[in-house]
Amino acid sequence: MPCVFSASVSSRTLPALLHHLARTYHADLLLCGPLAPAAAPRTERSIAGIAPVRELELHTDTPREHLHDFCFTPCATAVSGTIGYLNYTGGLARYGIRSDKPENSPNGRADQKPKNWPEDTPESKLADRQKDLPEGLFRQYAIQLIISPAQEPCSPPHSVDGTAGTDTGNHTARHDSRHDSGHDYGHDKRHGKEHVLECHTAEILPDSLCGKQSAALIDELKALCTGVIPPDPIPAHVAPLSRDALSRRLRQSLDRKGYVRGVERVLEHIRDGDTYQLNLSTRFDADLSGTGFDPLTFFMHMWDQHPAPFYAWLSHGSTRILSTSPERFLCVRDGQVLSQPIKGTLEFESFTEGMEKALTASPKESAELSMIVDLIRNDIAACCEYGSVQVSAHKETFTVDRLIQMYSDVRGTLRSGFTCLDLLLDAFPGGSVTGCPKQRTMRIIEAEEPHSRGLYCGSVVFIEDPQNMDSSIAIRTGWYDSITKALCFFSGSGIVLDSNPESEYRETLAKAGKFLRALAP
Amino acid sequence: MRLLLADNNDSFTRNLEHLLMAATAITPQVAPYAALKDMAPEHYDCIVISPGPGHPREYPDYARFLDSGVPVLGICMGMQIINSHFGGTTSRLPASMGGAHGKQGDILMEGTVRTVARYHSLHCDTVGEGLRITATLREQNPDGPPVVMALQHESRPLMGYQFHPESFLTPNGTWYIEHALRFFRLCQ
Repeated sequence: MPCVFSASVSSRTLPALLHHLARTYHADLLLCGPLAPAAAPRTERSIAGIAPVRELELHTDTPREHLHDFCFTPCATAVSGTIGYLNYTGGLARYGIRSDKPENSPNGRADQKPKNWPEDTPESKLADRQKDLPEGLFRQYAIQLIISPAQEPCSPPHSVDGTAGTDTGNHTARHDSRHDSGHDYGHDKRHGKEHVLECHTAEILPDSLCGKQSAALIDELKALCTGVIPPDPIPAHVAPLSRDALSRRLRQSLDRKGYVRGVERVLEHIRDGDTYQLNLSTRFDADLSGTGFDPLTFFMHMWDQHPAPFYAWLSHGSTRILSTSPERFLCVRDGQVLSQPIKGTLEFESFTEGMEKALTASPKESAELSMIVDLIRNDIAACCEYGSVQVSAHKETFTVDRLIQMYSDVRGTLRSGFTCLDLLLDAFPGGSVTGCPKQRTMRIIEAEEPHSRGLYCGSVVFIEDPQNMDSSIAIRTGWYDSITKALCFFSGSGIVLDSNPESEYRETLAKAGKFLRALAP
Repeated sequence: MRLLLADNNDSFTRNLEHLLMAATAITPQVAPYAALKDMAPEHYDCIVISPGPGHPREYPDYARFLDSGVPVLGICMGMQIINSHFGGTTSRLPASMGGAHGKQGDILMEGTVRTVARYHSLHCDTVGEGLRITATLREQNPDGPPVVMALQHESRPLMGYQFHPESFLTPNGTWYIEHALRFFRLCQ
């Protein structure tokens, strides 16, 4: 995997460069940050994949070996390192759950509307199209750009020590260091900060890539990355809709009434012992036809305004995937496993001292997280050495998307003979977005949610080799269909026995808030 | 020791597997509930029934195992299955006691107060014939007798824990496995 050039890129020019790569070369992007120095959870590298040369679509009957071969068999025409995603709905089959819901239908059924679904208006009429996203998609590229902080030019894409501390006892220290950076998750305000960009190419390149001679494309990228040719500026984000227009053009699979009723039914299941916790979600569909909406500009605006460690921009046919997730699913670094489930949420308008303590002191929110920690321990245990599974940090907090969130660090050591893909596939879907016990809870979710989750609550992954991988939980995620001009996004909340249905609905709105505000301030 | 861990499609079974390994240095054979009807209990020295969703009535295939004479340890749903097998009943916890999922609780177990992880909406409200309560929840049950947190059979090698020794919220989880094995006379 030759490194054909490297460059120093400042924080000031990085967004425009990334935007240019996606706009001009149709790059797929996995973006970290821009995060404050003490932000946690974190990842250390951004990756741009240019000129996909190999692609594997996963379907229910795709043998696991095919994915192993795709990811781990060296190929001279592709850079090693695979970008991909796993669709939540594809994970149902592993648990023997069948879903008949069309994936891209707002209500999940082409021929039947859920109760309380708003009437179609001419401008909100959306085409119900059958599945247009495969259950999984994995790509390798002729060219990969890897962008790391300058102080760590050879830093890994993630750190199994991927937080500001690792011991449970560091709780306060972590808070202090983050408070020094102004309480917020993101915004590394050191605009002069340098990044190191490395351009790697496949050993064997075809004559042409992206419609250009390969050598000319490399030269063009080099000029762009080194600042010889400035990247096109990012167009200013203009909200495509007024609030009134958004309310007319926005549909929800579960509106307030539907969601509250759903929570009440879930609570009955909890009282009956069917589930301990269930993540109930709603799907939002915004009709953006005629508004001039540009999904890439929107994505870059979100990345700039709402920093989080697991942003992803992926294209598939007419679909543009926008993932703005703060949550790590599974990270494997030289066989050391780290999962960082997020559970427990406190929304705020302006941060005040003591909010984090209020969250960590809440028995309800603490129990939500503890349940999922036990579930994650279980899910990684299948592929981890006996005795290696540990909870090294519990009830840590960070702020993201105007929310204080709790998370834990669950660690283990990959068993001999197992790969990071075994771990990913065995533990999928992530427990924080299903609930517990997983199988029956997923069945209840399938019955209660009128929509198909699709990629939402799946995972976006970067796989380097059998012992190295990082992956997100695809929350705060949606996709734009350039044919229907519809943007869908989702949000959900963990329902437990002492949940208040109205409060849980408000939490789902809070989690969708950054999408809603960017569409109509 | 030949150890069978019966999995009721639960999400804590692997945690239990790791705990059993830590306590016994033996790798248990993990079998899904659906496979039990084709399995012979006498092929094992000890059987552990995992937690699981739902109600004990959903798990009739354990009857053969509970009558086999082979020692059985039931965890959470596993305990309720043992209780149900001997005529005990299972019902919802009183609403006034609040949620008991992912929370620690204090139990009184053979004279000692212990902190354990709780994950249950249902409890054994009447105890089956021949079963003896060996631990109860310290928190008062306003609607009846103390909540049963452990029981064992008076003459057969059967023991149940309502709580979750495999949880990270239960300190010293291996003790509970060793305690059961001592009761079964499978270890010193």
